[in-house]
Amino acid sequence: MSKKVNEAGSVISISRDIEENINRLENDFGHDSDLVVHCFKIKRSKGLICANIYIKSLVDRSTINSLSIELGKLKSECRNEKPGTNIDALMSYFSGLRDAKEGFDFEALYTDLLSGNIVFLIDGCEKYLAVAANSDEGRSIEESSAQTVVRGPKDAFTEKINTNILLIRKRIKSKDLKVEYLSAGSITKTTISLVYIHKIAKDEIVQEIRTRLGKIEIDGILESGYIDELIKDDRYSIFPTFLSSEKPDTVAAALLEGRVAILVDGTPYVLTAPALMIEFLQSSEDYYLHYIVSSVLRFLRVIAFLLTLLVPAIYVAVTTFHHEIIPTPLLVNIAAQREGVPFPALLEALMMEITFELLREAGIRMPRAIGPAISIVGALVLGQAAVEAGIISAAVVIVVSITAISSFAIRNYEMSNAIRLLKFIFLLLAGVLGLYGVLMGLIVLVLHLCKIKSITVPYLTPIAPKIKGGNKDTIFRFPLWKMKYRPVGISGTDAARAGGGNPVNSSQKEKPEFR
Amino acid sequence: MKLKRLLFILIILSTIFLTGCWSSREINTLAIAVCIGIDKTENGYLVTKQVLNPRAIATKVTAESPVVIYTAEGDDLAEIVRRFTTQSSRIFYNADLRMVVFGEDVAKDGIQNILDYFLRNYEYRTDFYFVIAKNSTANEVLGILTPIESVPGFSMYISLKMSEEKWAAMKSVRIIELVNSIIADGDNPVLTGIEISQDEISPKSTDMLKQSGEYKKLKYTGLGAFNKDKLVGWLDEDESKGYNYITDNVKNTIEHADYDSKVKITYEIINAKSRTKVYFLENKPAIEVKIKTKCNIEIVEGEFDVSAEENKQVLNELLASKVKLLCEKALNKAQKELKTDIFGFGEAIHRKYPKAWEKLKDDWNDKFTDLPVNITVEAETKQLGQITKPLFMKEKE
Repeated sequence: MSKKVNEAGSVISISRDIEENINRLENDFGHDSDLVVHCFKIKRSKGLICANIYIKSLVDRSTINSLSIELGKLKSECRNEKPGTNIDALMSYFSGLRDAKEGFDFEALYTDLLSGNIVFLIDGCEKYLAVAANSDEGRSIEESSAQTVVRGPKDAFTEKINTNILLIRKRIKSKDLKVEYLSAGSITKTTISLVYIHKIAKDEIVQEIRTRLGKIEIDGILESGYIDELIKDDRYSIFPTFLSSEKPDTVAAALLEGRVAILVDGTPYVLTAPALMIEFLQSSEDYYLHYIVSSVLRFLRVIAFLLTLLVPAIYVAVTTFHHEIIPTPLLVNIAAQREGVPFPALLEALMMEITFELLREAGIRMPRAIGPAISIVGALVLGQAAVEAGIISAAVVIVVSITAISSFAIRNYEMSNAIRLLKFIFLLLAGVLGLYGVLMGLIVLVLHLCKIKSITVPYLTPIAPKIKGGNKDTIFRFPLWKMKYRPVGISGTDAARAGGGNPVNSSQKEKPEFR
Repeated sequence: MKLKRLLFILIILSTIFLTGCWSSREINTLAIAVCIGIDKTENGYLVTKQVLNPRAIATKVTAESPVVIYTAEGDDLAEIVRRFTTQSSRIFYNADLRMVVFGEDVAKDGIQNILDYFLRNYEYRTDFYFVIAKNSTANEVLGILTPIESVPGFSMYISLKMSEEKWAAMKSVRIIELVNSIIADGDNPVLTGIEISQDEISPKSTDMLKQSGEYKKLKYTGLGAFNKDKLVGWLDEDESKGYNYITDNVKNTIEHADYDSKVKITYEIINAKSRTKVYFLENKPAIEVKIKTKCNIEIVEGEFDVSAEENKQVLNELLASKVKLLCEKALNKAQKELKTDIFGFGEAIHRKYPKAWEKLKDDWNDKFTDLPVNITVEAETKQLGQITKPLFMKEKE
C-alpha cells in the first residue's frame, strides 16, 4: 500500500502507550461505530496488554473465530514471556495466517482496518500487526451478461479483485505474470492492480501506466471507467482508448500479446491497454472459430461500423441533394413513399433516430420484465403506425433499422456508443451539405483517429502507421500458426509465440487410409 | 467570457443551419421526366414531356395514370422547358430522362441546335436514347400508355435495348455517339424509328389497358439515315439488319434462307463479327468488309437432312449468301438512293490513311456513292437443335 501523507502533512506514528493509541482510535472513529476494540492480557505475563481491533461489518466471522482459538493457544504458550516482548515474537505465532504484516503509523493502520484486516496493538510496541480477515461476501463467478459468446469460456469477472486475479492466474500459470497493487481515490482507497507478463509487456508502457495511475487525484474510484477517463491520452476524444472486458480469456489473450491489464476492485470490467481501434471490432470468439469464418465475421463488423456511422447520413444526403445517383425505379419508389410526408428527409431521419435512441435507453434502464413491452411499442406503434399515418416514410424506418442492427453487431459497448453519437453529427452534416458534408466529416474523423493514442501507441496501428506484417490480426484473422510474432510496438519482445511447424506430416496427408 | 463562448457557439450553429441546404431538394418536390418529345410547329418547337406520377406507380391499385403529359410551345428549347413550370406544381427533374423522341419534321429539319441544349445543360446525363417518331409526331408517341411496364418511357427504353440485342434491326444511340457521328466528316448517324400501331383505340388512360389488346402500341421499325444532322430517308427492316451486320452491331437475330422452292431453313445467329479493311486501288479507296457469323439451326421446313455431312457446307453457304444479300441491300440504298455514308467508311479511311483523307474529306458523301465495297461473309453452323433430322423426313433406302 502506498503511504499517503495525511492532511496536516505529518505522519502520526504509533505511540508506545497502548491506552493512548486506543483513545485516539476511538476518537477518530467515534464511539458508536462498528469498530470493535478488544483488550486482553496475556496470562501471567505481568501487564502485557494486547488489543485486537477490527471493524465488525468488514471481517469474516469464521476468521475471527479461528483467530480467537489461535489467541487462546497464544495465551497459554506465552506464559513465560516478559513485559515488552518484541512484537516479532508475536509475529511468529501468526506466521500461518494470511497476509500478516506490520505497520508504524496511524494512516496505514486505518487503511488496514478499513480494508477488513484485524489489527493487533501491543503495549510497549511502536508497531502494529495486521492480519487479513476480510469477508468474501459478493457475487460468485457467473456467466457474462454483456459479452456473450457461443464458443468459448463462459465465466466472467466479478466485483472482487481477488477473484478476478484468480481467474487470470488460473489461465496463465507463469511466474512472469506480475500483479502490482496500487490504491487510488483519496477517500475510497480503491485497490487497483496492474497485471502484466514480465518480458512480454513493454517496460515503457508498464511504467507509463504506473506513473499515470500514481498521478490520479480524485476522491473516489468506483468503476474502471473512472480510470479510463482520468488517464487516457486524449481526454476530449469520444473514442475509448482502453478496452474493457468482462471475460478473463480476453484479458489473458491481451496479456499474452504484451498488453497491460488494469483491475479495479468493485467492478467486473477489466481494462486492457494499449487498445487499438481494430480491437474494438474484434471478439474473443474470433480466435476459437475457424480463421476463415472469423475473418468474414470481422469483415462484417467493419461493414457494420460503417453502416452505423453512415447509412442515415447517406440516405439524407442522397434523397435531398444527389437524386441522380439513385437508380430511377428506386427513385420513383422513394418518391412515392415520400408523397404526403410533411417533414424534410433530414428531420424525418433525425426524429426516427432519436426515437430509436430513446427506445434503446429506455430498454436498458427499465426493469427487465418491461423490456418486451418496450420493444412491442417500438416496433409496432412507432414503426408501423408512423408509416401508416403518413408521418414517416417507410424508407426511413428501414434505414433506422439497418443502423440499429449494425450498431448491435459491434461487440464493444463503448465503441458502439461512440459511433452512435457520431452518427448524429454525420446526419446533420448530410442534411446541410449533402455528400460533400459527409466526406468532410469523414476526413475530420480519420484525422482525429490518426491523432489519438492509447498509452503512447497510435490508435490506428498497424494500419496507420503501417507495420509490415502487422496486419495478420486486424480485419482478417490469419491462422494461429501464421501469427508468429506479437504485435510490434505493444509487446516488448520479438520472440516467436507460435512455431510454424505442422504436426501432421506430409506423408500422412498424402496417404489417407484407415488405420 | 461566458458570453463570448455562447456567441461563438451561436455563430458556428448559424453558419451551419442558416446558410445550409443550398440546392437541396426533397424528392417529393420533383417531377421526374422520363421522356421528351420534340416536334416542329410554325412558331418553333412543340415540346412534350412525360413526367412520372410516383403515387400511381408505387401504389398497387390506382385510378391515376402512371405518367402525366405536359406540352408547351415556343421557339427556344430552354425557354419551353422553363415554361412547363407554369403548368406544374413541381420542379422538373431531368437526370432520369430515358428517351428523346424527335418528330419526323424536326429530324428532317436538322437536330444540331437541339443537341446543344442536351449537352450543355448539366442536369441531363448522357445515357438516354434518341429515336424518331415515324409517320407521326413525338407528341402522339408520348401520349400512348403501355401495358406491363406502366411507364411508357421505361417501356420504350427497355424495348429498344432488347430488340437491338435480339432482333438486330434497331440501333440504340446515345448522345455522345450521335454527336460524334455528326461531327465526323466520314460518318453519318442513324436513329431508330418508332411507330404507332394501326389499332383503333388510343390508350390515353389506364382503363383502356384493362383489355388484352386492340389498342395502339408502340413499336420500333427500321433505321432512319441522316446526312449530317438531317434525316434523309428510312431503311427498311432488311436494310437495317444489313447496316448492323456491316457496322458490327449484331448480337443475336434470326435469318431464314430458301434452299429450293420446298426447303426453307431458319437460322439463329448467335455471334456475328465484322471487320472493315481499307485498300487503295489505283489511288482510289476501296473497302472490304469481312463478316463472320456463327449460327444454330432453328427451323427446317421441308425435307432436308441438316445432320448429313455433305449438307454442312450447303447450310453455311446458304446463310452467308443471305447475310451478304442483306448487306448489299443496305449498301445500295445508302449509296444510290440516300447518298449518305452511314457506315462510317470515311472514318475508316481517315484512321488508316489520314493524309489521303485530307483530299477525300470534302464532298465525301458524293465520293461515297461510287466507293467500291466488297462484302465477304463466312458462316459457321454450330448446333442443329435438340433434334437433328426433320421429324417427318423419310429415310432414303
